[in-house]
This record gives sequence, structure tokens and C-alpha cells, in this order.
Amino acid sequence: MKKVLIVGGGAGGIILANSLDKKNYDVTILDKSDMQVFQPWFLYMAFEGKNKNISKPTVKLLNKGSKFIKEEVKTIDLDNRSVQTASNTYSYDYLVVATGTVTDTSSIRGLQEINSKFGDYHTNIDNSMRLWSNINSFSGGTLVLGQASPTCKCPPSPLEGILLAEQLLTRKKIKQKSKLVFFTPYPRAYPAEPINKIVEPIMKARGIDIYTFFDVDYIDTQKSSIYSIEGDEIHYDLPIVIPPCVGVKIEYKQDVLDQDRFVKADKYTMRIQGYDDAFAIGDATNIPTSKSGVTAHLQAKVVASIIEGQNVIFNGRTHCPFDMAYGKATFVIGSYTQPVVPYPPSAFKHFMKMMMAKIYWSSLKGTFDFMFDTYFKMTDPEKLNKKYK
Amino acid sequence: MGDKIVIDARGSSCPGPIVELAKAYRNSKVGDTLELWATDAGVRADVQAWAQKTKNQIDSITEQEGKIVVVIKILNR
Repeated sequence: MKKVLIVGGGAGGIILANSLDKKNYDVTILDKSDMQVFQPWFLYMAFEGKNKNISKPTVKLLNKGSKFIKEEVKTIDLDNRSVQTASNTYSYDYLVVATGTVTDTSSIRGLQEINSKFGDYHTNIDNSMRLWSNINSFSGGTLVLGQASPTCKCPPSPLEGILLAEQLLTRKKIKQKSKLVFFTPYPRAYPAEPINKIVEPIMKARGIDIYTFFDVDYIDTQKSSIYSIEGDEIHYDLPIVIPPCVGVKIEYKQDVLDQDRFVKADKYTMRIQGYDDAFAIGDATNIPTSKSGVTAHLQAKVVASIIEGQNVIFNGRTHCPFDMAYGKATFVIGSYTQPVVPYPPSAFKHFMKMMMAKIYWSSLKGTFDFMFDTYFKMTDPEKLNKKYK
Repeated sequence: MGDKIVIDARGSSCPGPIVELAKAYRNSKVGDTLELWATDAGVRADVQAWAQKTKNQIDSITEQEGKIVVVIKILNR
């Protein structure tokens, strides 16, 4: 029986374990945490104060046959097929790295200080609720929101944040006393032009100022100002700065990490550069596609099929839900060969986004695989691009 | 002498090649040459706007068999 070792028990790792045939594969997941958190809900905690239970024990999400071991991986040696934790060494026939990404406030001066005070909505439940208490008690002034580096998980999330903040200030009747500023390191509010064409007019209509090409250099907490590499300055009263996302701290004996500790992997097969028995999926990789749960899901399915001997590839498909506030949403859909679809927002798409939050746990177990297959075919970017051109 | 850094953003439509460029720029220094590979046609206008804003220099933009190659000299970082 071939041994498959999965490092990381997030969405990607769990879907992969649940997709492999346990009659033929001995599947083990290693993770330092034995709880899974539904991270997309951080947004609603931070901007709507909706604190509900979004954690579940990993073992409850694994189908019969897979093993879970709560140990933190320290070192991976790909040449010797060896994975080390503090107490044990594990060998494998196939390795899948699904370690996700973590936020890092250390690389930008001033970021740690404002993060401890104001919170964020990409790190954990505590930070999200801290951000909520700050937004909820905000009584007017300049609210500034943006991502502090080009790498951010869930590309629509910075825009979702500013749109939900605008909705909250309007509903609380303090918008007249407030200025809303959105900054981004990209040339436009949303980096992919077809979606930008939809969202930028909405932002302007809602009175949100947009600073493009604003890549955060440092934050001066005495002056309450954020400075960019490009030489601009934004003053804030309430700063919501999404920290840079980087790969987790695991030592690799081989040179397979980029400068931000993301694993260099093939964008079609997810094989770690130079290895045919080791893969990396989801947020942990440097693959040029969105860091999102849907990507992790689709890559996990492809890697499971490759391990089982099928000749399949990942086509770069994205399907990122994008909440535009006031009960409307869209999805950012594209692939390696298809540009992003200018998919109009609607109330139905918002309903779909909320449904996804409800069925998330069952979706990890594969309960809705048949439905997802049909849905992904229905929303194929090539088909949609013809319709919405 | 600066380093030459190749950024392969072919196939990236979302978030797009400009994201990979911004990421490489963060880690670059004056004198480096960034060579950005992309397939998304929108990259031409984006890198020109980017170079103007960041005060860096585009040495060339060429295209061969659908692969767009942008060579950028880092003058300001």
C-alpha cells in the first residue's frame, strides 16, 4: 500500500485525503492544529459583527480510513522522502504540502502596532472581532483599507472589506462624517480588468476614494499616516491594513521556496519543482492563480487523480465569491486560458455565496461533489465569456 | 551590477501579471533588470502605467507566439 503524507489539515489537505481511495492508499494528515476554521467568515465577523462558531475538529471532517496526527512539521527533506516533527520522522511514497499561508506583520514598519490595536480580517477570529469592535465604535473620520503587499489570499477580499465598511457606515448614519479610502498596489481597484469595470463604478458611486499603485512601505503611527514605496501618503483615523501573506515556517532541505516562503510548484500538475513524488496545493504554492478555497479544492482533486495514475491537469480555474454589499455578489471566474469573466453582480449570487458558507463542512467530505462538478461546468469561463462579452 | 530576475506570469489572468510584477519589485533593488513574461494582453498598458508611476524604465516589450516579454530596468526603489 502506497503511503500518502499530507502536511496541513486545511480545506486542501482534507479534500485530498477524502478524495483518495483508502483501499489502495495509506493516508495521513499532519497538522499542528486539530481544528479547522472556515476563514471566509472572518469578513462577516469583522464588518458585520456576526460571531458564530466557525471551527470544527479536523477528525470530524475526514472520511473513514485517513489518519490524523497532531504534530507540527519542522523539516521536509524531499530527496530522502522524510518529514520531521519535534518528536517523530515520517516517510512517504507521495507527499502533499497543503500548509496554507499566514499573515506576517513583521516586514513592514508600524504594521505590528496598528494590527495589535485595530485588528485585521485575514488572520484569526480574535483579530477579526477586534477589528469589528473598532469599526463598530468608529464615529467618523478617515477609514482607510488596503492590502500591505501584492500577495493577499482571496483577491476580492480587500474590496469586499471596503464595500461592507461603506454599507455599515451608511446604515449607522455616520457616512457624512466619514471619508472612505481604498488603496491597492495594482493599477486599478481590482487587478483583473473585467471585474474592475464592474466594481470601480460601484465604489465611486458609493463615495470611496481609490489610491492605485500604493504599495505600503511603512506606517508612521505617530503621524497616523501610511506611506507607499511609490512615494505617496494617506492619513488615517481607522486603518485596516491587510498584512502580507507568506508561507509557513517549515525548513526544506532543498531549494524549493520563493522569497515569501511559497513552495515553487508546477502550475498544471502542482508537482514541487524537480520532484515527481511531491506536490503542493492551495495557498502554500507560488502558482500564479488566486489563493482561495476553491483553488485548493480543485487542485486537491487533480493531485488525488494524478496520484491514482490519471493523466489530468489543473487548468487554473478560479471561482472566487465577491460580496459587493447591499445583498449582491459576483464570482471572479477565469482560468489559465480564459480571461476573467465580467460577471454581473446579483442577489442570487449573494445567496449562492451564503449557501456555500452553510454547506462548507459537508463539501469537504465530498457530499456535494456531483453538484460542484455540474456547477463548475455551468459556470465554465469560456462559456460565460461568450455570454457577457 | 544588478541581478536579472525573470517573472513567469504566463497564464495568470486573475489576479494577473501585474501582481507578480509588484511582488518582484518589492524584492528588487536599483540596477536590477526584471523580465516579465505574460500572456494577458492587458499587461502592456499596465506595465507602462506602472513604470511611469514608480519612475522605472521599460527597455522593451516584445511578443513571440503569444508570449509577451517586458524588460524593465529598476532605476528607483
